[in-house]
Amino acid sequence: MPAHYQAYGLTISSEIELPELPQVSTLAHPADLSITRDPSLTAAPTGEDWVQLSPFAWTAPTAFMLLVPDVAWFLVENGQTIRVAPVGDIDMASVRVFLLGSAIGALLFQRGYLVLHGNAVDMGDACMLCLGVSGAGKSTLAAAFAARGYSVLADDVVAINNVGQALPGIPRIKIWRDAAERLCVDTGSLDRIRPQMEKFNLPLPQTLVSTPRPVKWVFLLGKHEKPGFELTHLNGIGRFGPLMANTYRRRFMEGMRLNADHLAQCGRFAGLVQMAQVRRPETGFDIDGLVDLLLEDMSKVPSA
Amino acid sequence: MTKRGLSWLASYPKSGNTWFRVVLSAYLGSDETELDLNALQTGMIGSSRLWVDDVAGFDTADLTAPEIERLRPHAYRWSALHDGVAGYHKIHDAYLYNDAGEPIVDPVATLGAVYLLRNPLDVAPSFAAHLAVDIERAITLMANPDASLSRDGKGLNMQLVQRLGTWSSHVESWVNAAEISCHVLRYEDMHATPQQSFAAAFAALGLTVDHAKLARAISMAEFDKLAHLEQSAGFRERPSKAKKFFRSGKVGGWRHSLTPDQVARIIAEHGVVMQRMGYLDAQGQPI
Repeated sequence: MPAHYQAYGLTISSEIELPELPQVSTLAHPADLSITRDPSLTAAPTGEDWVQLSPFAWTAPTAFMLLVPDVAWFLVENGQTIRVAPVGDIDMASVRVFLLGSAIGALLFQRGYLVLHGNAVDMGDACMLCLGVSGAGKSTLAAAFAARGYSVLADDVVAINNVGQALPGIPRIKIWRDAAERLCVDTGSLDRIRPQMEKFNLPLPQTLVSTPRPVKWVFLLGKHEKPGFELTHLNGIGRFGPLMANTYRRRFMEGMRLNADHLAQCGRFAGLVQMAQVRRPETGFDIDGLVDLLLEDMSKVPSA
Repeated sequence: MTKRGLSWLASYPKSGNTWFRVVLSAYLGSDETELDLNALQTGMIGSSRLWVDDVAGFDTADLTAPEIERLRPHAYRWSALHDGVAGYHKIHDAYLYNDAGEPIVDPVATLGAVYLLRNPLDVAPSFAAHLAVDIERAITLMANPDASLSRDGKGLNMQLVQRLGTWSSHVESWVNAAEISCHVLRYEDMHATPQQSFAAAFAALGLTVDHAKLARAISMAEFDKLAHLEQSAGFRERPSKAKKFFRSGKVGGWRHSLTPDQVARIIAEHGVVMQRMGYLDAQGQPI
């Protein structure tokens, strides 16, 4: 019997248990997204419609397929279904990491959203995004905002609709042990994202924000050699490149031939937000200081 | 058709890799180009997380170390064969195999490699400064078969884990690599006969050597100039703990910075390879 969940504004019916997602008891309509197990997925797709995007990803006009070696096959179709074939005896936590990451990201592209790599934090009647490469400190920053009582709308995969609003995603932050220690979070009670890894699911309150929030501020998090933080506002065309650079799985988007739509989406979104590049020291950065800096900057450009 | 693929600039840390890349970058740039240490146009480092993540389509941050090592050869192969990535890529990994028995540095993706080699007696003090540890600790690390870079199981590093092994096993892994062709370039020869040494390495990388252009590139990358550039504009490849990246760059500096015991220890641990590479004479004494 599939269970029902909600994320990214979608109702989800899933044969795979998804403890990371808020559950809903009944659905008035058929689910927007159906996640099923399909053990028949065991090989790369064949046929003229398919184009290979990478050693492990393929796309067709209405479908996308991904292999995470030794973990699972995923087939994402029409923005409506995800079929999953776990490989061998793999644990389901490992499967969910990629189901709720790359697979859901591909589905959001199919549904026409602007999908960015970063996180979204609610600021009341608007929200901020923090974008940047893996290792920039985005999740640590989101966890620090959460510790101050702010609601984190989405971590890792952020979907933006056509009016520049961020959709509430998966209410958890994937946090490494060192970041948890820095934030005084006891990892003893947390689940590891995968059994072999020192990385944990930090659950977030599930009910605070359920509707899309307009994005008002975008911070691009990076590092520099200097001590202290540096915040530089970006204007005009300067906002466009960072959105392209921080597109989630740009290779998927390009392979799905969404370039033209994507360019238009980035252009439109760039015109709706304030954007700043924020650089922090390479090591030993003061996470609370960074939260203060961003809050101060946002207070200068009120959301209303 | 010119053969395409990835060229590797491989080395144990602090063995002249950056110097080589600066000269190569200056050589490949136009005559008007000013040297910018923070924009070396040679290619991504082989251990770049971003590179592998982009090709894979999922995050290496969610993978275990053995899973990442299984992924890497496939990522390089796809880049070289399908994305048209070429270039000259620094790499500090030893030439090793993953647990599926595949070389991490995929031979199919590889056009060639230059292995930059430096006397371990000079590597030790430089490596110590690089890591901001004392020389004893650096010598211990150079003899540790499990040594690696960017290994931090508790957090995320922008570089993937790079297994080094010992200094000796690192050298032998590349020099003896069966599946790829590897040109060995000694740091000491880059100093003693720069024009000839760089020209031979460039030729091994498939470049047609223009000697006047090479002479100009070598002159642009003189050590004092690099140290001055680092001082004025910083160098993003400097480790956060190290005071400066371009520290001394001398050949034979060990004679002033190592104690006799430290010299004896390094020779005891690496003598066989040192002798093979011309760093010890027939009597086992440093040259």
